[in-house]
Amino acid sequence: MPANTPASGPGGAATGATRIATTATGVVARVRRPRAWGAAIRRMWRGSLQFRTTTVAVAGTVVAIMIACVWMAAQIQADLFESRSKEVLEDASRAITAAQSEIDDVQGELERSALQGLMSRARQIMIEQSGTSSIAWIRVDTSPSAIAPQNVAPRDFLELISNGLRERVNSSTGQWWQSVELRDADGNPVPGLMVGQQLNLPGVGGYGVYFGYSLSESAQTLLFVQRTLWIAGIVLVLIMGLVTWLVLRSVTEPIVAVAETAQRLAAGDMKARIEVHGEDEIAVLGTSFNQMADSIERQIAELAELSLVQQRFVSDVSHELRTPLTTIRLAADVLNDARSEFGPLESRSAELMHTQVVRFEELLTDLLEISRYDAGSAQLAAESRSLAQLTEEVVDAMRPLAEQHGTELRVVTPGGFTPVDMDPRRIRRILRNLIGNAIEHGEGRPIVITVDSDQDAVAVGVRDYGMGMSAEDSQRVFDRFWRADPSRQRTIGGTGLGLSIALGDAKLHGGTLEVWSALGRGTNFVLTLPRTPGVELLSSPVPLEPRDDEVVPEPPRSAS
Amino acid sequence: MVDDDTALAEMIGIVLRTEGFDTVFCADGAQAVDAWRSERPDLVLLDLMLPGKDGIEICTDIRRESGVPIIMLTARSDTADVVSGLEAGADDYIVKPFNPKELVARIRTRLRPTPEPVTQNLRVGDLTIDVAAHEVRRGDTLIQLTPLEFELLVALASKPNQVFSREMLLEQVWGYHYKADTRLVNVHVQRLRSKVELDPDDPKIVMTVRGVGYRAGAIT
Repeated sequence: MPANTPASGPGGAATGATRIATTATGVVARVRRPRAWGAAIRRMWRGSLQFRTTTVAVAGTVVAIMIACVWMAAQIQADLFESRSKEVLEDASRAITAAQSEIDDVQGELERSALQGLMSRARQIMIEQSGTSSIAWIRVDTSPSAIAPQNVAPRDFLELISNGLRERVNSSTGQWWQSVELRDADGNPVPGLMVGQQLNLPGVGGYGVYFGYSLSESAQTLLFVQRTLWIAGIVLVLIMGLVTWLVLRSVTEPIVAVAETAQRLAAGDMKARIEVHGEDEIAVLGTSFNQMADSIERQIAELAELSLVQQRFVSDVSHELRTPLTTIRLAADVLNDARSEFGPLESRSAELMHTQVVRFEELLTDLLEISRYDAGSAQLAAESRSLAQLTEEVVDAMRPLAEQHGTELRVVTPGGFTPVDMDPRRIRRILRNLIGNAIEHGEGRPIVITVDSDQDAVAVGVRDYGMGMSAEDSQRVFDRFWRADPSRQRTIGGTGLGLSIALGDAKLHGGTLEVWSALGRGTNFVLTLPRTPGVELLSSPVPLEPRDDEVVPEPPRSAS
Repeated sequence: MVDDDTALAEMIGIVLRTEGFDTVFCADGAQAVDAWRSERPDLVLLDLMLPGKDGIEICTDIRRESGVPIIMLTARSDTADVVSGLEAGADDYIVKPFNPKELVARIRTRLRPTPEPVTQNLRVGDLTIDVAAHEVRRGDTLIQLTPLEFELLVALASKPNQVFSREMLLEQVWGYHYKADTRLVNVHVQRLRSKVELDPDDPKIVMTVRGVGYRAGAIT
């Protein structure tokens, strides 16, 4: 029996499915079927405890039952042969004895014809006693004799008597036998026994008498027994497989239910629970799982509540702080506007107060934005916009600032014109921030702003050819309040939170904001937004690392 | 000027007076609508968070009776707050803390007279706009619009072949330059549509041009 027979349950289903596929896809499916089959079995072997265990159990049962069957069949065969051969030998022996006593009863010398008659009487007795009609006798002494009755040995029967048997029978008075292959009435081979013994004819000498016994009856019995054994074995294996499958199913089903519930829970369905039946180990597992889920749900609810409290607090603080700050701002502005009427000290104080109030205001705005990201309450107001167009607008708005720093802004837009869902307020904020940084660190060299798109994303790169940063520093640019060089004077305000907010804005879009920088070569920031929200970005249409053959533009004025 | 913070109200009063405006204060949301009825100001400055009555409710109540320009003051620029204020009918909003010049600019934009267009009567879709009389009619039915909604419609209808980006509309109707919150346009286009369209879900007067902005519908 093939070892993979039990697999025909699930495997059979797979074949059915493949067969349907075959009609649809034709030759390709037919060619690929065996491999697909193997893959399906491998997948089930790895993925299903039930399948694996059942296969192992069935394979084990098959081996055990095969050993048992083979052993039993061998035993029965030996037993049947032994009892049959014993019977046959006894029959043959009795026949010889009876024939010999018939012959021995006759006294005196006998004529040839009498001997012939005696011989045929002995034959009759032997047929009666031995239970077989296949009898041959061959005179031991081969020298010619006038009175010796003729050998009786049909040719095909004679062929079956081996020389070894003949020699043994001729040389002793004992009984000898050997297994032979007989032919039945239809000429089919049947197993048989050839038994030989001497019969002594007075005055003539010994005759080797040979009885041919057919064992076909025993062979049939054996065949029947073997068939019964194999059928019983197969049925046993099937039952075994079925029982294992069912038992395992009763175990794996609750486990699968637990696994599925755990997945649902992990996916965020806090109400996912297991139905618990009975009081067994599986029920304990279910109850414990449900308790764990309850506990997680409770803690998450608590955390959510805390987060809500925090958000409310931040919002309230925002309102409470902003109202007085507005008043201060307005007052500072009024004073600042009127500072020409003040003395020099008061005038400078009014100016300082004004600039610092503005700075304070920017800091507060940025901090609140950051706190929104921390609280996870930032919301995207997405609309369909062209990134290239938006970039042009921001760049145009920033040209005055760039001109103040003697920096040229170059916009390259090979792509990025098709509208993509984005929050224009946030994208503008990111671009303003990146371009502002580039102007500040670009050392007067032109800044190249590239917008491009591919199948999955749109991207904008802001590249300056300034002093650049070390790899270590460029890893920290998105950290809050981090500055590449604290001693370096800032010329364009900034709160130190701009890039953190820009990163938050990019992530809120499901996009990325990456930085490349090398000392002496400048810096490149690339903002990439997915065309479809939720699609993971693997690459950007704008390369992060600028190509080396790119010509570094010379600053329009001397770099001194 | 409706604000519960008297210091801020007084300060705004000082700023506006130096610019030549008269101001009336109301610190309690519950009395705001009554105060508005008795004073009939040319413009309302409204704080969103007020004791007594919420700024959004006041906005809704005033809008029910009048198209007077309303500018909201808000400490929060979060989507939900601003949008609900705009949906309640506020024409514009300004986030605290603000630049006094910006506040004055916002107020002046809302109070300026509508520029005289070349043609006196405009047509858009099945509507007739009488610019001089500030009236919009479908057939003989008069459609009530606030001055801002009217201005928005006139802006679109006066150049029927042009697609207006949100930024262009912000500049033309709200007086913003570059510092733009396109939600203003989105919300007011929706409010306008709810008044002038037969089916706001299938607009025929104010058409959306995906990825660009809006344009006037064809004359029928």
